[in-house]
Amino acid sequence: MLPQLRDLDRPLIGAVLALGILGITAVYSANFASEVPVLRTVWQKQLGYGLLAIPLAIAVIRAPTRFLYAAAYPIFFGCLVALLAVLVFGTGEDAHRWLAIGPIQLQPSEFAKVGAILAQARYLADTAPAQCSHPRVFVASFLIVGLPMLLVAPEPDLGTALAYVAPLVPMLFWAGTGPAALFCVVSPLLSVVFSFEPAWQELTPYLFALYILVSAAAFFYLLNRLWLILTMVGLNLGSGLLAVYVWEHLLRPYQRDRIVIFLDPESDRLGAGWNIIQSMIAIGSGGLTGKGFLHGTQTKYEFLPAAHTDFVFAVIGEELGFVGTMVVLALFLFVILRAVSIASATKNRFLSLTAIGVASMLLFHVFVNVGMTIGLMPVTGLPLPFVSSGGSSLLANSLVIALLLHAHLNRHDF
Amino acid sequence: MALAGRDERSARARILYITACALFALIGLRLFYLQITTFARHARDSDRNRISQTRVRAPRGLIYARDGEVLALNRIIYSITLERSTRSEYDAAVAAIRAALGEDAVDGSYSRNQRVIRLKRDVDLHTVAVVEELIKPDHPKLAVEIESQRYYPYGHTCSHLLGYMGVVQEEDLAAPSGRAYAPDDYIGKTGLEKEFESVLRGVDGVRFAEVDAAGRVRREFPEREQPAIPGQDLRLTIDLDVQRAAEKALPDSLAGAVVALDARTGAVLALASKPDFDPNVFVSTHAQEERRRLLGEGSMALLNRALNGRYCPGSTIKMVAATAALEEGLTDTLSSFPGCRGALQVGGHVFHCTGVHGELNLLQALEVSCNIYFLHLAQVLGFDRWRLYAARFGLGQRTGFCMEPPESVGLLPSREYYRQRGGYSLGRLMNLVIGQGELLVTPLQMARYTAAIANGGYLVQPYVWGQPADPVRIEGISPATLRTVRKAMYRVVNGSRGTGRRARLDQVEVAGKTGTAQGPREDSDAWFVAFAPYVAPTIAVAAVVEGGGTGGTAAAPVVRAVLAAYFAADEDSVSTEPKLAQADSTSRHAPPLSAWALQ
Repeated sequence: MLPQLRDLDRPLIGAVLALGILGITAVYSANFASEVPVLRTVWQKQLGYGLLAIPLAIAVIRAPTRFLYAAAYPIFFGCLVALLAVLVFGTGEDAHRWLAIGPIQLQPSEFAKVGAILAQARYLADTAPAQCSHPRVFVASFLIVGLPMLLVAPEPDLGTALAYVAPLVPMLFWAGTGPAALFCVVSPLLSVVFSFEPAWQELTPYLFALYILVSAAAFFYLLNRLWLILTMVGLNLGSGLLAVYVWEHLLRPYQRDRIVIFLDPESDRLGAGWNIIQSMIAIGSGGLTGKGFLHGTQTKYEFLPAAHTDFVFAVIGEELGFVGTMVVLALFLFVILRAVSIASATKNRFLSLTAIGVASMLLFHVFVNVGMTIGLMPVTGLPLPFVSSGGSSLLANSLVIALLLHAHLNRHDF
Repeated sequence: MALAGRDERSARARILYITACALFALIGLRLFYLQITTFARHARDSDRNRISQTRVRAPRGLIYARDGEVLALNRIIYSITLERSTRSEYDAAVAAIRAALGEDAVDGSYSRNQRVIRLKRDVDLHTVAVVEELIKPDHPKLAVEIESQRYYPYGHTCSHLLGYMGVVQEEDLAAPSGRAYAPDDYIGKTGLEKEFESVLRGVDGVRFAEVDAAGRVRREFPEREQPAIPGQDLRLTIDLDVQRAAEKALPDSLAGAVVALDARTGAVLALASKPDFDPNVFVSTHAQEERRRLLGEGSMALLNRALNGRYCPGSTIKMVAATAALEEGLTDTLSSFPGCRGALQVGGHVFHCTGVHGELNLLQALEVSCNIYFLHLAQVLGFDRWRLYAARFGLGQRTGFCMEPPESVGLLPSREYYRQRGGYSLGRLMNLVIGQGELLVTPLQMARYTAAIANGGYLVQPYVWGQPADPVRIEGISPATLRTVRKAMYRVVNGSRGTGRRARLDQVEVAGKTGTAQGPREDSDAWFVAFAPYVAPTIAVAAVVEGGGTGGTAAAPVVRAVLAAYFAADEDSVSTEPKLAQADSTSRHAPPLSAWALQ
């Protein structure tokens, strides 16, 4: 039953393996000098999860496409149940993110990302391209990503929640949604951005008003029914105002801090701004070729927080320099572009949409995680795929690559 | 189930390609900026993170007396500290210490901004043991810090000369030399500690280490260490026996001062001023109350009267007029003036004498300290000539003694001085000649003046450390004249009618002069100046006791005690090797101490 290696997308496998090995190396380097014995063996655990992922991936590659298609909704449903279970029985120190199954601790939120992509792909695959601009499709799509998002929202992790929305727009776009309809989907998100006071300060009301006017004009031009135009303008206004309300009343102080600190790390140099500043110092001090493997002082002397998880990219930047970061970025870019090209080549609509979902999910993770370490994005709990230590993330991302390999293997079948 | 047409698909794929590439380009540019463009700044920040520079304090130079007794040394003190603690850790540790050692075992208060909080400074070894053995296991952030503290084993002895130390102030740090100091360093505030601060202090060294985010040292670089250069020791000219004799002889209830010089070189053998203080009070952490009292208004204990006390000299100044008259040929040892009848009217003013002395020559007049004789002498001498000789003896001038705060100049009035104050008259001179006028002198000036008479006409420059300056031969005062003056001073102590007979010593011939100055106080200031031995003098002493009464009764015994100590010490041969003072937990130098990281 083993797939023939020559039939698989070998460059893709090579790139992902390279990332995984770089990751294990960086995790080792991040912890080898640690005074906590448990941390010194994290890289071995990571290697173990990597090995565990291989048979799972082979199973996914070998499974009949029919089966994957049929299982999309049940898998999604299972993920929702697991997320609910986390809310009820969750373990973990300060974040209710973990579910213990015997000795293995899993993070259902990581697997739910895959489940949401599968369910979304299945739903859009069942919808004719011509129908994809219908508001009904948007509502259903938002429901699919909204359910897991709602369930992880109580977890203190904004980044993971936002990761569910990320594949939505590219997948709709791939499914055939027209530019006007896409603008309708994106515009409430833009509205949230323009109503965000910490970013724009005293300019906020003017900027928000200007955006509402410009978007209303766009709707008037793009849409032909008055009720639709009014609904969209109302939606834009509502989402902007809702964002203000959420910011002031619903977000937890540390979540607000993360965003404020991201906008101005120096405002709390020794407190919450510490992470961003130390990460930028680590990466910047790596220079062209880095300080050398195991010689990163920011990492070794614990100036860099969460060096083996969320900030693992900074370890690579410090020890391997610009050369190292460019290699990692090139590998990721290759994987993502490869995913899009697989989507292009795959005749099966469900698999093709899945590949786009995978590409956009990876792109979102890489951009947000790396962006966070270099001060382009606020600090969130999103891991760097294949590189950050974390078994659930590694397993989920391996499954995602397996889906790509499956699509590639079956690209000629409808 | 096909997607839209094939062209449509590749167009959409192209948009996704471009989007992904654009986002990656953004990251790539940002990385280029961080790792290439601004690399240097981040590399520096990274070094600053991990490299800690710890100051290695230079041990301060010690101060020795002439025979090697240690007057100032560095003592090790232990402090209980708490490092990088939270409020609750602080509260728990403080409660544990208080439970074990009592309520006052903790002084410091919690501060979030301080990396190290000093809970109690200068604790005893019992406390150190209790904290280390019993409390620290449960409160690991507690630490015992070792510091060096200045210590003066003889307490009050030499306090005015040594001065005291204190924490550096803003103005010290702002001075050009202030860069070498950290904000809670100690610096010499007065006395030798201040005068020779730059000599005593040495140069601090720097030790480099790699530290982690928690401040723990992970690696050291002994090869890059800049060792501290210890401060230079001072070996003073002070004869501790003479010094202690002077301090003991000065009455405790009255203020006063004594200066003893080597009459040949100007070396200061003793320099005492009462009231005095214990300089340990200024560095000790247990003596805030005492320190406040000393520094408070109305406390005169910090005034060094030997250098900064300005006194009327009384009859001790009569040698000026005697020298001038002899030198100018206005009198000799045989001539006399109309006899003393106890008082003399000059103009509208009546001058009184200490007794009815009859007809006297110069030697007799000095022996009994007859004012009337010198009033007659003043009339033939005149103001300008008297003033010239007073100036030749160095009155109204600085002696050149290096000290902080600097010595006072005193006051030798000029004609200009009188012109501004109602005009000169003969009465002014008459007061000056007998030491009751506007003339003001310091005990140090009087000791130098006495030394000049004793050594045959050389003005010495007093010094307490280093090499003596070449004595300056006084122009216009012949050795023969001074021989006569010395003879008269011999009779003051040894003659049958001498006023200074209480300064007599059996083992050595002493010569001197009493003075009783009517100052602002109810009781007169008592003066005595002396030198010894009479033949080939080696020591000159000046003593003043404020409000002590007559010089013969209050000041002469003080000088006698000083001379007795000096000549007794001379007999027991002088050891040249430094003797170490005995004191608990002291060492020649405290080991180099690293106190805190420099910014």
